[in-house]
Amino acid sequence: MKPVVLMVGADKGGVGKTTVTRTVLDYLAAKNVLARAFDAEHPRGTLQRFHPDMTEVVDITTAADQMKMIDTLATSEIKVSVIDISAGLLAETLKAFTEVGFFDLVHEGEFNFGLMHVVGSSVASLDEIAEVLPYAKGKHYFIVKNFINDTSFFEWNPTVYRNYFRGTTDAVEVTIPKLNEMAYEQVEIAGVPFSDFVGNRQTNGQAVNNSLVLRGYVRTWMRNITDEYDRVGLLDRLYDRTAAAA
Amino acid sequence: MTVSDFSTVSTIELPPPPERTEPIDSANDAARPSFAAIVASLHGRTGKTLFARVLADYFLLSGNRPLVFDTDFTEQTLRAAFPFDTVVLDLSETRDQMRLFDTVAARSPEARVVDVSHYVFRKFFKVMQDCDFVSEARERGVEPVIFYIANRNADAYEEGRQLRERFPDCALVLVENVFLGPLKEQTLRSAGYRAFDSHELCMMLPLLDPAVAAAIEEAEVSLSEVISKPLSRNDDSAFGGLSFDQRAEMRSWLMKVFREVHRVTRAAEQRALSLVPIIDY
Repeated sequence: MKPVVLMVGADKGGVGKTTVTRTVLDYLAAKNVLARAFDAEHPRGTLQRFHPDMTEVVDITTAADQMKMIDTLATSEIKVSVIDISAGLLAETLKAFTEVGFFDLVHEGEFNFGLMHVVGSSVASLDEIAEVLPYAKGKHYFIVKNFINDTSFFEWNPTVYRNYFRGTTDAVEVTIPKLNEMAYEQVEIAGVPFSDFVGNRQTNGQAVNNSLVLRGYVRTWMRNITDEYDRVGLLDRLYDRTAAAA
Repeated sequence: MTVSDFSTVSTIELPPPPERTEPIDSANDAARPSFAAIVASLHGRTGKTLFARVLADYFLLSGNRPLVFDTDFTEQTLRAAFPFDTVVLDLSETRDQMRLFDTVAARSPEARVVDVSHYVFRKFFKVMQDCDFVSEARERGVEPVIFYIANRNADAYEEGRQLRERFPDCALVLVENVFLGPLKEQTLRSAGYRAFDSHELCMMLPLLDPAVAAAIEEAEVSLSEVISKPLSRNDDSAFGGLSFDQRAEMRSWLMKVFREVHRVTRAAEQRALSLVPIIDY
């Protein structure tokens, strides 16, 4: 199997990018796919707080940390690398990866590459997409509409919207549904993967007693996200399986 | 039962277990689940709250003081009847959903009675399904039983059929209230009604004199007292000014209902036991 790089990014903060990354890591684990994660939110590392065992915090602007990610792709036992790009660094990171020849290797078929672009509800999001699109051409490009902590969202003009997507027929839209506020808040406080919250586990594996109502909300929400990732064929696309082409 | 500061479980302080008067067969008793009776009907005016109250009294008289939940936030009818240990909830609030389901599923010896207002019928069962309440409760030795009161319309039976499908592991008792009158021809022919043709758990609420029914709805009448005290001709002041005959009728009606409740709860318990895989050593 080819090594896979899945980037999750947004050009601005507060759109729930790290939350989306967490759902992807839970999804991969549920599908028995071993993954490692890089948290580019240097030096703080929000993702690392939730998935400490598999996450390394990197400074994506330094050559040393770029090497840490790219040079280990071919040798690592773990074939799927998920990179959570910090807010505002998506375009810059894509540029840097182009410069070090990463996309040439993707083109030559050495690696697979997917980009999950988490967009906000504002018009600025569209400009952001325009900026990223040239890099996404021919790659697996997912536009993620994140409803997790937003109730009203996306009152985009459909004509404007279509214009942006002209020529990028391979862009896939993914919708992350809203999660009950109190459930979301409790998972934040617990600082564990969503799956552990549902399974009543702490980071250290010890049993806890979370509210069954809140666990229920998280479980139903995760189920919907799994259906959504299945629907868009996330795994098939990353693995370049034929099913994705259909 | 205390709620840890670090836990997200929102439970309610349960009253201390009642003092036992009978000797306890401890081995047998430990295996006994505590019941969570969920009383619901699709429409209003089906005698649901009265029945919830009778159930609470049934548990009280059987030495298993119940914790009562009233989901009718605006009217709070049950709270009026059981002011001492009734919790009124607003199910549109997540916090109250937690108070309800987390407490009802908690490991504890008390019986629980939930009066599901028809205003929150769908919301209640949606949350119940989403939080996987039935298996969570059963894991903690709590046996949920849905008492579904059907009114005379076909849609009520159809809704009951759907409930039974949505919660296949939960006992559903179909309660038919004679007071509501005979079934319509259309209802008898409906698929929803026919689906209950061979339903195991059914019970009847026998006819009750409207004056007595009205008196029961008065908050001051204690049903447990009606049952536990001997009838006396010299005690006309008690029980909402009911006559001796009316009190006798109320008593006989209650005994009939208690017997029915006893029968169906035992059957529900047996049914639950058959669902649990038996480990053969």
